[in-house]
Formats: sequence, C-alpha cells, structure tokens
Amino acid sequence: MEVVDHETPSLENGKTDKEVEENANVLQFMDSMDAYLTLIHSLSSTLRRGWLELASARHSMGASRVNTVLLDHTSHPAATSLLVTQDEGKVDSGKPHFTLCKWASSSNENSLLGEKQSSQDKLHPQLRHRGSTELYEEKTSSENKASREVDDPVQKERSKSLSMFGTLVSPKLRAAQLSFEAALETLVEIANMRSEMVCTFDQVNMKLAGRKDEK
Amino acid sequence: MDTVVGFLMAGVGNVDLRRKTNYLIVDSIKQIEDTFKEFTTREDIAVVLISQYVANMIRFLVDSYNKPVPAILEIPSKDHPYDPAHDSVLSRVKYLFSAESVASGRR
Repeated sequence: MEVVDHETPSLENGKTDKEVEENANVLQFMDSMDAYLTLIHSLSSTLRRGWLELASARHSMGASRVNTVLLDHTSHPAATSLLVTQDEGKVDSGKPHFTLCKWASSSNENSLLGEKQSSQDKLHPQLRHRGSTELYEEKTSSENKASREVDDPVQKERSKSLSMFGTLVSPKLRAAQLSFEAALETLVEIANMRSEMVCTFDQVNMKLAGRKDEK
Repeated sequence: MDTVVGFLMAGVGNVDLRRKTNYLIVDSIKQIEDTFKEFTTREDIAVVLISQYVANMIRFLVDSYNKPVPAILEIPSKDHPYDPAHDSVLSRVKYLFSAESVASGRR
C-alpha cells in the first residue's frame, strides 16, 4: 500500500530522491559484499574437495609421481587465460570485468563450444555404436564427429596438462583437475564481485564525504 | 604447494622464454615480496591468487595495493582456512560498519 504525502514540498522531494539513491548504493554494496563472502565460502569447499582428491591421487600413484619436481619448466603458454574488459557506457567505467577462457590455446571457439558439446556427447557415448547397423552409424557419426572435433582439443589440453605426472594417471587426479577448474570459475566470479564491491564502496564513501563537507 | 599444483593442472601455468613462471611456491619472505611486486606490475597478469597465510607475511604490501588490475584475491590454503577479518578488501570496507563511523555520521 502506497502512502503519498502531497503536503511534502518539492525541495524535500529532491532530498528524498538523493537519499533513495544513497540507500540504493548502500544496498548494492551490502549485496555485493554478501555475494563475495558466499563465493569465498563456495571456493573453500571446492578447494577442499580438490585437495582431498589430489591427496587420494598421491596415495594411489605414489608421492614421487605427484610432486612439484615434475612441473614443466620448459617454455609454454598458459592454456587457460583471462579476458579483461572495461564496462563501457556506464558511470563506473573504471570497473574491470573478467572472463575466463578455459583451455583456449587451441582456439577460443573450441573452448567455448567444448563445454556445451561435451554435455551433448554424453548422451551419445561411443560405446553405444559398437555392433550397431551401418545406417545408424552413418546418421549418428556425423553429429558425433562434430562434437568430438570440438571436444577433442579441450580433452587434449586437459591430458597434456596431466602428462607431467605420467601417461596413465589415477582417476582421482583427473577429478582433482576438474575440481580446480571449478575453483577457477568461482575465482573469476569472486574477482568480478570484488571489483563491483570496491566500486560501490567508493560511491558510498564519496557520498559520506560529501555529507560531512555539507555539515 | 598442493594449491599451486592443482591450479597448474587446470591450465593456468605459464613459462616464458626466459623460463620465468607466473607462479611461486612459497620460499622466503623477501622472495614473496619481490614476486608480489613483479606480478602486480606485469601486463600479462590479470588476477593474482595468493594464499591468505602468505598474504599475512606481506600484509603491509597487500593492503597498500589499490589498483583494479591485476586483482589480488586471497584464497584459503590446505592448512590455513580463510579468515574474512584478514582479507585486505574486507578490512578496507569494514570501517563503514564500525561504531566510530556511525557516530561521526550522526554528529
């Protein structure tokens, strides 16, 4: 139910609008801080899962096979990178935005499509085609070929990343890799939430400083 | 160490032609300081992940850093859980919730 006070003078309405804007900024700041803390909590649990899986892999493969000594020190670029853009056309245009490009060393399209196609590929596993008719194979092979072509570079990059631990690795190590990939995605969200939080904090701070100067 | 290994498995490791890496496994405080200064001035780094207990060793450096890019994210480590009270971003904004700031606003 709305209560409209028609007796309020226009000057007070201007101040009310200003207060409404300030309240909106404060609320936005509180929301971003809450989201930041929630994401940190989520990251902690994802990392714990990754550490546990890594410890399991070390237990099954041996400590000498899962070791920092085996890290690749030859020159190579990062397969996963970040794209940083500035929010254009907004008042807070200095706020950076981070986008994760996973396994993008082969091609950007493959890394973006690979994740979508891999879920479709799960519906048509290759094992199902063994012993099936030629016609069935012809129909499905073309769609699987497309999804495999896109998915292969991503899987190749994943395998290449694990190759420093040997050709045959424990399934727990692969699971740990996926956990840390999920942690990366959460970290990018945290980075974006952090920049929003800092931006709204600066706005609230400016308003507070302005209010103190008026007094 | 496990944190570094894990993220390297996720594909973020980079080694340039001079064999300089974009990661460091904790050694001495001096090396941590030098590496932090190097990573925060490199143009090919957008986010710096630092375990919070390592960040506490160079807290004065981390708290004095205020550029938007690269973003400094303090993360938990296996043996040291995350403490929001020590986070540099949260400690920067927490004064808004202190009694002193509320009292000064009311004057």
